Amino acid sequence: MHHELIVLTKDYYMIKSMLLIFSSYFESTMYHNSSQKKFWTFDKEEALDKLRLEANQKFLSCAKAGINESMFLDQWEEKVLLRHYEKRLLDFCNIFKPAMPKSVVGTALMYFRRFYLNNSLMQHHPRIIMLTCAYLSCKVDEFNVSCTQFVGNLQESPAAQERALEQILEYELLLIQQLNFHLVVHNPYRPLEGFLIDLKTRYPLLENPEVLRKSAEDFLNRAAMTDAGLLFSPSLIALTAVLNGAARAGLKMEAYLTECMGLKGDKETLSKMYDSMRRITSLVKAYELPKIEEVNVGKQKLERIHAELATNLKRKHGYEDDEHVVKRQMVTEEEWTDEDLDEL
Amino acid sequence: MDDQGCPRCKTTKYRNPSLKLMVNVCGHTLCESCVDMLFVRGSGNCVQCNTPLRKSNFRVQLFEDPAIDKEVEIRKKVLKIYNKRELDFPSLKGYNDYLEQVEEIVYNLTNNLDVEKTKQMMEQYQRENRDVIQRNKAKLTREQEELEELLLLEQQDFEQRRLQTLQDEQRQLQAKRKNKQALLDELESSQLPAALLLAQHKDRASQLETQIEKQKQNVKPTNIFSTGIMMGQTVSLAPVTRVEEVLYVYQPMHFDTYGPPIPELDQLGRLGYLNHVRTASLQDQAGGYTSGLACHRAVQDAFSGLFL
Repeated sequence: MHHELIVLTKDYYMIKSMLLIFSSYFESTMYHNSSQKKFWTFDKEEALDKLRLEANQKFLSCAKAGINESMFLDQWEEKVLLRHYEKRLLDFCNIFKPAMPKSVVGTALMYFRRFYLNNSLMQHHPRIIMLTCAYLSCKVDEFNVSCTQFVGNLQESPAAQERALEQILEYELLLIQQLNFHLVVHNPYRPLEGFLIDLKTRYPLLENPEVLRKSAEDFLNRAAMTDAGLLFSPSLIALTAVLNGAARAGLKMEAYLTECMGLKGDKETLSKMYDSMRRITSLVKAYELPKIEEVNVGKQKLERIHAELATNLKRKHGYEDDEHVVKRQMVTEEEWTDEDLDEL
Repeated sequence: MDDQGCPRCKTTKYRNPSLKLMVNVCGHTLCESCVDMLFVRGSGNCVQCNTPLRKSNFRVQLFEDPAIDKEVEIRKKVLKIYNKRELDFPSLKGYNDYLEQVEEIVYNLTNNLDVEKTKQMMEQYQRENRDVIQRNKAKLTREQEELEELLLLEQQDFEQRRLQTLQDEQRQLQAKRKNKQALLDELESSQLPAALLLAQHKDRASQLETQIEKQKQNVKPTNIFSTGIMMGQTVSLAPVTRVEEVLYVYQPMHFDTYGPPIPELDQLGRLGYLNHVRTASLQDQAGGYTSGLACHRAVQDAFSGLFL
């Protein structure tokens, strides 16, 4: 089950060019008729909250009896923990060797976010899911890392790495299923490149659009930590990043929208765009790292719930193989915990 | 394909796929060797149901399920007696009722229900309709004979034709050989120059060829098409009605990108986009990659879904 893929440099270019050639002929690779637009883009933040609440409730109703009500996480605590684990995922990807391309990181974060839109943290521990998301994202985005290389990035003993790998491979199919097999994620990084090229070509008012690149990229990285990817198209997020950078630098860019995009006469679309961009900016600005105390409280509860579930299962089913929780439970007790992932 | 195996020796059927299963009147199977063994001992009873059997009653199994073979046998016997045809009945309903009666009898006998009553019914029917049965039997035999005659005729025809073609071929070969021989003889004996003789020979050879060709084309004219229509029948020459349909016009596919219009790939250079992308090195270009591809893709991605 260990995947090994060695791609020679010359073949890599050939494959890349083929991908580019064919993708422009197959309309299905574009955002406007992608599964992301059809199934994973929502109108309002409230819709996302509703889904997460439903997932939380569903778990509560299915939970085995014998667990005290107060031991469960409510949706606010879940949100705190989610933010915490998203940050861990980002950190894991940032120290990854070989260096992970931005699109792979973006895809991994999106997978993580989508998974916990319909599932509760209490059912599947985010520690495993986050590694599985990264692993799957490497595969899907054609960033070829062997699985041993992958777990080599965990700061653990080889035995623990091996165990982690087993768990990742177990959870992989579950993750793909919960993503409804929609594996192609459109990130805002390429649209950003496109805008920079377009600005250089068609917008002479801006002398050197390259100055906007740094702040725009920073904006996009921060946006990846929010729900923006689930609410807006990636091109719009990229445009927001560019305009935000320009505003910071005191550069005027309305003419780009009215003249180059041809929106001079289309007041409605223009106002809609400005509105969405405002929403994106506020989402990004509103993001803050979760507080340590809240995180610790949440984590304690989480570990207890998972331990409790595992023992319940063991009591009922013995050591049957069909429950992931049983296997994981053995690992949590013995070897690696969250602290082992602490590199900072 | 393999049945469960011979019920007696069990293993032999698997080991020996060429071994045949035999079925008897009670519907149970036995492989050939078991049949022989059974009758060597003199006792003729079926292994599973203990009905007394005779060796002649065993027939080679045709169907996988022995029950079907049994039914087929019974059906044959019943239909020998119940051999009325559709024209014997005044109405279609009468014929259908008769057929249903036959099916019931076959079913009862196959599944051993009311065997006595059924047999009595059969005997009664036989007595009542003796002459009809006889007449139909005679008809059947006559029909079969006619069919056989036709088949025989066809075969004979075919044989004749084959012989004919063989003979023709032989004759042609002989003629060619004679021609060659004649040439050699003339070369030996005649006074004329060799070139002239060769020309004459070539002439004769071509004449022979044309003769053969004509013979081949001189096929016996038939008077009937293969589909059964007689030749020479007048066919209606009225024009076939034309079906007017709308001509298909190609419309290029249109996709809504929910964004501003994207420049075409071939326009990128002219519009100046390519100045702002990394030029493709020779190594990149080897695979068919051009800088325009990456540029186009980036711009497409930037514009797609912008107005949503």
